[in-house]
Amino acid sequence: MIESVTGQSPGLNPQVAQLAAPLAPTKIQVRDLNFYYNGFHALKNISMDIPEKKVTAIIGPSGCGKSTLLRIFNRIYAIYPKLEAKGSIVLDDENILDPSYSMNRLRSKVGMVFQKPVPFPMTIFENVAYGIRHHEKLSKTEMEGRVEQALRSAALWDEVKDKLKQNALGLSGGQQQRLCIARGIALKPEVLLLDEPTSALDPIATGRIEQLVEELKGEYTIVIVTHNMQQAARVSDLTAFMYLGELIEFDRTEKIFTKPGKKQTEDYITGRFG
Amino acid sequence: MSSASLYLRRRITNVIALSLSVLATVIGLTFLAWILWETLRQGISAMHLNLFTKITALGENGGLANAMVGSLIIDFIGIAIATPIGVMAGAWLAEYANRSKLGETIRFLNDILLSAPSIVLGLFVYTIIVLPSTALTHGNTTFSGFAGGVALALIALPVIVRTTDEMLRLVPSTLREAALSLGVPQWKLTTQILVRAARSGIITGVLLALARISGETAPLLFTAFGNNFMTLNPLDKMASMPQVIYQYANDPGDAMHAMAWAGAFVITMFVLLLSLFARLVLSRHKISHD
Repeated sequence: MIESVTGQSPGLNPQVAQLAAPLAPTKIQVRDLNFYYNGFHALKNISMDIPEKKVTAIIGPSGCGKSTLLRIFNRIYAIYPKLEAKGSIVLDDENILDPSYSMNRLRSKVGMVFQKPVPFPMTIFENVAYGIRHHEKLSKTEMEGRVEQALRSAALWDEVKDKLKQNALGLSGGQQQRLCIARGIALKPEVLLLDEPTSALDPIATGRIEQLVEELKGEYTIVIVTHNMQQAARVSDLTAFMYLGELIEFDRTEKIFTKPGKKQTEDYITGRFG
Repeated sequence: MSSASLYLRRRITNVIALSLSVLATVIGLTFLAWILWETLRQGISAMHLNLFTKITALGENGGLANAMVGSLIIDFIGIAIATPIGVMAGAWLAEYANRSKLGETIRFLNDILLSAPSIVLGLFVYTIIVLPSTALTHGNTTFSGFAGGVALALIALPVIVRTTDEMLRLVPSTLREAALSLGVPQWKLTTQILVRAARSGIITGVLLALARISGETAPLLFTAFGNNFMTLNPLDKMASMPQVIYQYANDPGDAMHAMAWAGAFVITMFVLLLSLFARLVLSRHKISHD
């Protein structure tokens, strides 16, 4: 485990140094990250330390690169051609951008939940078991235990325990999204990436997901991208504000929302643009 | 222009567009009904049990039983060959070669095969299967139901490739991302998730291909050839519905004409019922993604 390097190395990007006393040991250390879409410079010199077992929110107007940044953390961007990330992202002492870093390992350590719920076209049970089966060989009872545990952690068990054999596409949107979270945590990842996980849900389902994030953060390092500032304020410990591909400010959430250090941040959170 | 007259114009445009599209639908359906009615009217005198139980060797007193069985066997062979190849090729195009030059080229070639005249495919199979095996049997002609099935497979193949490719590309990319983010490899993603998600579309493609080949005559003339007797052996000459209809239609006898019409009615109903059945089954399985 890397200790937070905040303030320790001279000449570090000043954006990193803004984060005064670290909340927790660093889980993901981003350094000089640049990202290119077909030659378009989408992320510019991002450096940040994401603390372990805390919720880090990334906010900013549409097109600022917040989702792009999140999608680098599990290298899902790499399935598309002509996308390129430069710099380093160190997860537990190893640079995940290193081509030799095992994709299997990365994806079992870093889970992801997407904007729209995307259950697989199979039963509820199979949706959760599917990913586990790829990484581990479990007996039938062990598997049932794991699936139940994952569904319980995602606060879905009570609603689906009697219909595990039914098609997951029959669940409501909010239930589907919690199923996707269960599917992600079933692999026992260390990091959970949430890409606007509630933007397709109604307020009640949103509330349940937010409550769930609260419950999960004791066990997982969570990074959540949201365009909903109230959501960031409600669920996160730290907030990063991005604008036009740059990390403008990264600090404790209460500081970002009460006395932001940069004018751009203040303009955004007070609704003057974005 | 005032908003009142703007609304009026829109209403008029709407009425005109709606009338035209209703008219087009009516024209299309009229022909379908007309075809069914005409084949039934002309064939009704031959519509009795003999049609399904007697063979063509009995001529006017016979039926089309051997042709029906032959068609089922030949079509089955065609679909059985074309489906696995077509689905795999379509999956490769959509998932592995989607934007590559090679993929685009193959897609283009597949479209050419899609529009190839069916008689050419029949002749092709005649040259690659029938003729060489005739040489092996020392001059005994080797027309066969199997050769007919291969010719029909060549017609069904591009249809299945195309629909599989298109249906897989309709699957939202978020489903791919979700599976890949669990560490699932591409081949598992394709075979276990994407094909399943696109299943109803792919099955529809296969059934469309079956409907298409069940009416093909030309490719069977040089391959399955025809047979007046009942056979279940795919290596034997085999009768088929379209080929017998073609033969009977060219016969001078009225009774034979009636039997050809009845055969045409049966084949049309078969395709119609197949499509209806497919819709029924698929709509029961289909659950919306949104």
